[in-house]
Amino acid sequence: MSRFADIDFFHWATFAMALLSMTLGVGIVAYLFWEGGPFIWNHGAQFLMGLDWFPDEEYGAAPMIFGSAAVTFLALVFSTPLALASAIYTSEFLDPRQRLTVKGIMEILAGVPGIVYGLLGVSLLSVWIRDVFNLVDGYTLLSASFLLAIMILPTIMTLSEDAIHSTPAEYRQAASGLGLSKMEILFSVALPHATPGIAGAILLAIGRAMGETIAVMLVIGGLDRVPEPWYDVFSSGQSIASKLGREAAETLGFGEHWSALMALALILFFLVMFLTAFGNWLIKGFRK
Amino acid sequence: MTRIQKEKLFSKALGFLTLFACSILAFILFAVFSRGFSAFSWEFISSEATDFGAQGGILYQIFGTLLLMFASITICLPIALGTALYQSEYLKSSFFQKAFKIFMASLNGMPTIVLGLAGYLFFGKFLGIGVSWLTGALILAAMILPTAHAAILEAIETLPEHYQETGISLGLKPNQRILAVVIPHSVYGIVTGALLGLARAGGETAAIMFTATAFSGVSIPQSITEPVATLQTHILILAQEATNPTALANAWGAASVLLGIVFFLILGAKSVRSRLSWEPEQ
Repeated sequence: MSRFADIDFFHWATFAMALLSMTLGVGIVAYLFWEGGPFIWNHGAQFLMGLDWFPDEEYGAAPMIFGSAAVTFLALVFSTPLALASAIYTSEFLDPRQRLTVKGIMEILAGVPGIVYGLLGVSLLSVWIRDVFNLVDGYTLLSASFLLAIMILPTIMTLSEDAIHSTPAEYRQAASGLGLSKMEILFSVALPHATPGIAGAILLAIGRAMGETIAVMLVIGGLDRVPEPWYDVFSSGQSIASKLGREAAETLGFGEHWSALMALALILFFLVMFLTAFGNWLIKGFRK
Repeated sequence: MTRIQKEKLFSKALGFLTLFACSILAFILFAVFSRGFSAFSWEFISSEATDFGAQGGILYQIFGTLLLMFASITICLPIALGTALYQSEYLKSSFFQKAFKIFMASLNGMPTIVLGLAGYLFFGKFLGIGVSWLTGALILAAMILPTAHAAILEAIETLPEHYQETGISLGLKPNQRILAVVIPHSVYGIVTGALLGLARAGGETAAIMFTATAFSGVSIPQSITEPVATLQTHILILAQEATNPTALANAWGAASVLLGIVFFLILGAKSVRSRLSWEPEQ
């Protein structure tokens, strides 16, 4: 060992590994730019605003961008109230053991594979939606939103709960000393303190919802059109991720079609990165 | 209504919603396992699929999923551990510390479908491995790198300061400190990171569906350039045949097995983390 101690093998070995992971991160982002960037640069607004997507003729990303935004927004509408209510209850009204149990349940829920949600969506949810709303088929923007709502529930719930729970005990004691009830402490002390953390949790959840491919792809219907009228959630649609999942295999690495898909991927990547970075910043900044 | 009554009502309503949120998991477990149960038998997990998966079992699918999981963690773990050690023990520049954080975050935020496509073009096309289990394992390794890295780095960073100080005062060089102090005392982080990484790799479909798998006619691969069948893609194909009851029953059976594997790993990671982690010493 004493001879080896002079040559710092670990320094070089760990440096090599660090370089490798750095290269991986940089490489993939650079690759996306390389493949998708020129397409956005050349087609610009025509690509971003275009309403039609016919491979080898016309590439309009608007239906996919709209689809991603619509299902994510609806998923948030369904998920946030439930997630916040359980976060508040878990943090403020449960004893430590029960709190850990609820958080454990959420952790397990977060681990359910996307494909299992997809299967549940195809064979149960879409059938229910078809029957309840009397539709031709159940593959709609609404079905995708419901699935996403369940998938992002643990993210919002767990991170918001952390934020609410981390309200300093002195604040709570001071409020309690003023004679405030639990509920009043919650609304006047804990929630205001936790607001940035909750906002961060929601942003991370949006990022997750936008990137989800497999479950959305199975239930969203795969129709590249902005619904008519636009608020018709019972129509089929397409999200950016589901578009990639459906079409990428046809054109792996070749031609304009591929460049257009990679341009979509680039847009998706930027949206997700921005949301995740901003969300993380809110969560961390407020912990300090 | 008095304040007290209002508060009681409020907490009851919240409690009800919490119960509802938790019951979603119970519902999912029940929905999957009750339907999977009818397909499930020893024969189902020990025989190969026939008639394009509509009949027969899922032996090779289980094998393929496990192969991809373990190959990817084997590739990922040295890189994650090395990166974490380099960051915590050698890297002084705060600029590069930040850069590492940003690149890990961007790898983590990368939608998996994009990672799969980019990975296929690099490993499959450029390096010529083609659609194969090795390509899939390399892509999954990149995907779970941030998960494993975060768990390991957290374990190293929460190591009590005086452990490191004791090492330094004994005159240990960084490499000796790594072997004698850092690695032995952050084993739980490495194990947690590995288990969470395995769970994530096992639950992933989008990244491997075009890059590592074939649907039928695949058994145990004979070389590194052959594709495998996996539970995830098996379910994906069968789910689209929603009209065929046997195919659907097999999909539920496969989903039960997949869910079982993933939950087992997550619960394992939870118990390792709570048993072996450092208790705060103050």
